[in-house]
Amino acid sequence: MSSSSQRLSVENLKDLLDSVQAFLFDCDGVIWKGDQLIDGASQTLHMLRSKGKKLVFVTNNSWKSRSQYAEKFKSLGISVSPDEIFSSSFAAAMYLKVNNFPTQKKVYVIGGDGILDELQLAGFTAFGGPGDADKTIDWKQSGIFEHDKSVGAVVVGIDPKINYYKLQYGTLCIRENPGCLFIATNRDAVGHMTPSQEWPGAGCMVAAICGSTQKEPVVVGKPSTFMMDFLLEKFDLSCSKMCMVGDRLDTDILFGQSAGCKTLLVLS
Amino acid sequence: MATQALAQPLQNADELIDSVETFIFDCDGDSLIEGVPETLDMLRAKGKRLVFVTNNSTKSRKQYGKKFETLGLTVNAEEIFASSFAVAAYLKSIDFPKDKKVYVIGEDGILKELELAGYQYVGGPEDGGKKIELKPGFLMEHDEDVGAVVVGFDRYFNYYKVQYGTLCIRENPGCLFIATNRDAVTHLTDAQEWAGGGSMVGALVGSTQREPLVVGKPSTFMMDYLANEFGISKSQICMVGDRLDTDILFGQNGGCKTLLVLSGVTTLPVLQSPNNTIQPDFYTNKISDFLSLKAAAV
Repeated sequence: MSSSSQRLSVENLKDLLDSVQAFLFDCDGVIWKGDQLIDGASQTLHMLRSKGKKLVFVTNNSWKSRSQYAEKFKSLGISVSPDEIFSSSFAAAMYLKVNNFPTQKKVYVIGGDGILDELQLAGFTAFGGPGDADKTIDWKQSGIFEHDKSVGAVVVGIDPKINYYKLQYGTLCIRENPGCLFIATNRDAVGHMTPSQEWPGAGCMVAAICGSTQKEPVVVGKPSTFMMDFLLEKFDLSCSKMCMVGDRLDTDILFGQSAGCKTLLVLS
Repeated sequence: MATQALAQPLQNADELIDSVETFIFDCDGDSLIEGVPETLDMLRAKGKRLVFVTNNSTKSRKQYGKKFETLGLTVNAEEIFASSFAVAAYLKSIDFPKDKKVYVIGEDGILKELELAGYQYVGGPEDGGKKIELKPGFLMEHDEDVGAVVVGFDRYFNYYKVQYGTLCIRENPGCLFIATNRDAVTHLTDAQEWAGGGSMVGALVGSTQREPLVVGKPSTFMMDYLANEFGISKSQICMVGDRLDTDILFGQNGGCKTLLVLSGVTTLPVLQSPNNTIQPDFYTNKISDFLSLKAAAV
C-alpha cells in the first residue's frame, strides 16, 4: 500500500523546491481553466524560473499546436517558449517520427488543427481534421464511400466536430489499409471545454473508433509513458529530480508515478 | 474443456418442426437470400410462430415489413424483432415509468417504436442539426426527466448528442444507458462495410465510463422476451442462421435449439473443421429442406 499524500506546507515546500530541478505542469485545471488564468499561476511560474527551475508544460489537449499554446500563454501574460510545451498533438507527430513512419504514407486526422499542424511541421502529409466537419454522405445515392489507400495512420484526438463521415473514413482506413496504425492523442473521458461544465473528451472519439474497428489504439498522451520517455531524453532530465503537477489522478498523477518522479495534486 | 455434441445433419425435419413452437430467422446475414415463401407458409400453416431478428434500428417493424415485401416475402410487422423494437420491449419489461423521458441517439425506427409503446422521447435525427459554441458563458442544459438514454446506429451523430446523453447518464439519478447493439460494422450497402452502432455506443462508453445494457444480438434479451411473452420454454424455440459465431452462438446462449443452414457464409468443411468449437444442434443445406420429409443429401 502506497503512503498517503501530504498536504503542501511551508516546511515541505522548501524541501520540494530544493530537491526538484524540473517541474512538469499540466495546463487545464492547473494553469488555466478554459481561457481564464488560475489565480497566482503567473507569479508562481515566475518564482520557479527565478530559482533556476526548468519548466515543461504537458497537456493532453490536442486541439492546439505547441506554438498556438505558446500564444495562449502569452495572451495570459506568461512567457513560454513552444519548446517548453509538450501537447498530445506534438506527441502524435513525435510518435510517428520516432517509429520511422514513412513520409510517402499519409495520416488521416479525426481532431483539430493542432494535430494537423504538428504532423505537417514534422514533415508528414496529413488531412482530414476540421475540414471534414461539414462533409455529409448522400444516402440516396448508393455509390461507394471512397478512402485513400495510402493512409498509413489514423490519429484520433478531441473533436467537437465529430460526425459520421469522419467515423466512417477512419474506420475504413484502419480496417482495410494493411498495417494502418490507430493512434490516440489521449483517452480522457471529459475536458473543461467551457468554464461552466465538463464536455466529452478525446476518450469519446477514440472509443467510437475502437467500437467500429475492434482494435485498441496506441496512446501517446498521459498517462502513457511515451510522452515521459520522450521528455526525459529530449530534456536530459532525471526523474528523481522532477515533479509532475496536475489536477487529475488518473492521468497526471499516474503519469508521474509511472515514471518515478514526485507528484503534486492541485485541487483547482 | 467440455466438447459439444457434434451437429447432426437434419434428417427428420418434421420431428424438429413438431418439437418447436417458434422459429427465429436472422435477417442480417445470408440465410434468407434463398427466399423461401413456401417454407414460411408451411410453418405458419402448422401453427408455428415465426420471428425475424435484425440488429437494424433505422426502421420500425412496420417499415421493415415493407422491405421484406420487396424481397418477395410475406412477413407481418409483429413477426419482426428489430433492435428498435427491442428497446421499447425492454422498457416495457421493466415497467419504465411513462412520466419519464427517453433521450435517443439514433434514427427514426427507434422513435417510432417508442411512440407506439407510449413512451415520451427527446432527441433523434433532428438533434443532428444542433450546433454548440464552446465559449465561456455557454451552458448546455438537459432535461432532468430523462430516465433512459438509448444509443444505436446514427448517421446524424454529433458532439451535441454525445454531451446531452452524457449529461443525462451522469447527472440524472438512476438514468439507464441502453444500446440497441454494438456491431462494429453494418452492411448499409452491399458494396462495403459501414461504421455500425458499436461506434456510437463506444463514444458514450468513452465519455461516461459506463457500460450499456444491450438489447440486440448477441444479448439474449429477445429470447427471454419471447419465452415470457408467449409462455413457452426456450427449448421450444429454434434459431436458424448461417453464421456460427453470431447466429448459432446467439441461439445457444439463449438456451434454444439451433439449426445452421449451409446456404450462406458457413460451409460444411468449416463446420466440421477441428478448429470449430461451435456445434449447432442440426445443420442442413437450406431452409427449404423443411419441405422435404427426408434430409437433402449434403
